Amino acid sequence: MITRRRLLRGATGAWLVLVPGAATGQEGVFLRPEDAPRQLFPDGGDVQERTVEATPALRERVRALLGGPPSLWELAYRIFTVRRAAAPLGFVIVVEEIGKHRPITYAVAVTPTGTVHDLAVLAYREAYGGEVKEPRFLRQYRGKGLSAPLLPYRDIVNISGATLSVEATGRAARKAIAVLRATGDLS
Amino acid sequence: MLPRSPFVALALVLLVSALPSTAHAAAVEDLEQKLKSLQEQVDDLKQQIERQKQTAPPPPPPPPTAATEPPMAPSRPLSISDFKIGGYGSVRFEASDLHDLKSTFTFRRFVLSGDATIANRLRGVVEVEFERFTELEVERGAPLEGGLRGFSQSIESSDKTELSLEQAWVQFALTDWAKFRAGVVLVPLGRFNINHDDNRWDLPRRSLVDRGVPVLPVTAAWSEVGMGFNGDIPIGRYGKLTYEAYVMNGATLDSSIETVARGSGELEAEVEIQPRRGTANIDLKNEKAGAFRLAWSPAIGHEIGASAYYGRYTPDFLPSASVWSVSVDGKTTLGPFEIEGEYVLTRYDDILRVARGFARAVSERAFEAEVPPLTTTVEFELAGLAETKHGYWLDVRYRFFPDFLRESVLGRLFANPQFIVTARWEQVWLDGLVREVDFMGSQLTSLTKEHRFVDRATLGFAYRPVPLVVFQTAYERTWTDRGKSLAGVTNFLPARAGEDTANAFLFGVAFGF
Repeated sequence: MITRRRLLRGATGAWLVLVPGAATGQEGVFLRPEDAPRQLFPDGGDVQERTVEATPALRERVRALLGGPPSLWELAYRIFTVRRAAAPLGFVIVVEEIGKHRPITYAVAVTPTGTVHDLAVLAYREAYGGEVKEPRFLRQYRGKGLSAPLLPYRDIVNISGATLSVEATGRAARKAIAVLRATGDLS
Repeated sequence: MLPRSPFVALALVLLVSALPSTAHAAAVEDLEQKLKSLQEQVDDLKQQIERQKQTAPPPPPPPPTAATEPPMAPSRPLSISDFKIGGYGSVRFEASDLHDLKSTFTFRRFVLSGDATIANRLRGVVEVEFERFTELEVERGAPLEGGLRGFSQSIESSDKTELSLEQAWVQFALTDWAKFRAGVVLVPLGRFNINHDDNRWDLPRRSLVDRGVPVLPVTAAWSEVGMGFNGDIPIGRYGKLTYEAYVMNGATLDSSIETVARGSGELEAEVEIQPRRGTANIDLKNEKAGAFRLAWSPAIGHEIGASAYYGRYTPDFLPSASVWSVSVDGKTTLGPFEIEGEYVLTRYDDILRVARGFARAVSERAFEAEVPPLTTTVEFELAGLAETKHGYWLDVRYRFFPDFLRESVLGRLFANPQFIVTARWEQVWLDGLVREVDFMGSQLTSLTKEHRFVDRATLGFAYRPVPLVVFQTAYERTWTDRGKSLAGVTNFLPARAGEDTANAFLFGVAFGF
């Protein structure tokens, strides 16, 4: 028989279990941009942030590097330069790409040599396909540069039912590298 | 003194209105002095702006952009509330060697979907399906004939038409591993039912166990009214677990009536009783059903799942009897190769007892209806029931696209076009399939059952310019027990008696948006 005391005890237990999980596992929003450099470069020390306006000239250079336009243009790019003992570790840049209907916001960590160091999904807004935020999926992009296609069934293992989001992730990684090259951060 | 700017006037009004009614006159004079000073500063700034406008070159026109979306500010809120319309549809051409089928175009279905982000962690999804649907027309009238008023009603619709609510639910994400979902939900039995969108598949016909010779208690896409939880549970280096668990009204035997008017004036009514998805209104039985699916994905591209369904399948006027189903499914990706499959087993308990109860209920109802026996014939059919049904499908796919075609009409302007070769092998066994139920009065006199199988082999070739659109071709060969008709065991082949094999060429297009 369920007594009132048991019910209260169970409810308290459920609350204690669910609330901490909710704090870290909110659907849709996973990380703030300003927290991304620490997560993507755990060994990093000094972090400097700047915002670069997406001027027509910058967009033209990015478009040329990508071989075509992205699915959307940002107005400006938040770029974090991460250093350790004055030596540059890399850059983190916030970019967006359209999944199926909505933009997915990414933080892409890029090494000084122009390859992907790591990625994080800051916000996912689609109904399906949120698996692209999983680290085991994003690990596939590490070490890949602008010359890689970053496409499912070519150099990326697809997630069934999330192909559009998988393609968006590849586009985001390539756009991040292209923007950093266009701004002169990467040679 | 009158203010020279509406903004100053507005500020003055706001400030004055904010003052307490007992404000001192000296305070008002002080305020006026400050406003005068502010007004002078504003005038100076205006003059500076005017001077800069005269000396500065005109601003450049906005840059041209080929992007499809307007520029987005970097300060976009991470969570947005909105509603998006989407959907999918499919059409197929089929040429068959069956005598009564020949060749035909089939509008398979069009599904309109809506996806609402109500708030952060709250989401709603709706899908409305138009299957083989082109028209539905209802006419009612009260004609006057020979001074007498009569009533008429006619319903016109396209053949085999279905208009249904495929999904309609709201989800509250408590955590990643506990998302509460309520409404019309897809029953998580096997992998096809929960991934049934036509444009996700590379063959132009659904599998036998899910659709053509349904081993699922109800043909896919099978949804029920209910509620429950779903979620993802990361298990570290062992990958991830995904689950769905719902309680719902559940599948139940329900009737459909087909009437035929004979030239002799006799009206023939055939009442077909078969498992259908449960009601969305008052449940026809006083017991709920449950379904659960647990899937383990050790790595991206690999998943194995196990699922089960259990519930009562008889309405209240029949004896209580249970149907249970279990399924094992999986998918693995090896470079350009994919292997995907599903096995389903369904068992209906107490079919004999249900048939006896059915005979008793039908007899009582016929008596209540006072059907004139000379002009009307009513036949009852207990369809789709078998003691045990089980079967599987197995797909092997190979994806490729030759580089020399990337600049051709098939590849130009597409980021990742694909050709897909698919081989599918399917088998279904129907053990104790109810063929005929005879009863006299309220007594069951005979129950005829048989054991049957249906096999199908399909070889397909598909072209996907983009992930949402696929052009599919396939050759398929379907066969059953020698000398027996495919019509008795499939729901899509109008085979004549003795037509135990069918060969078909299919061409289909499926799209999503």
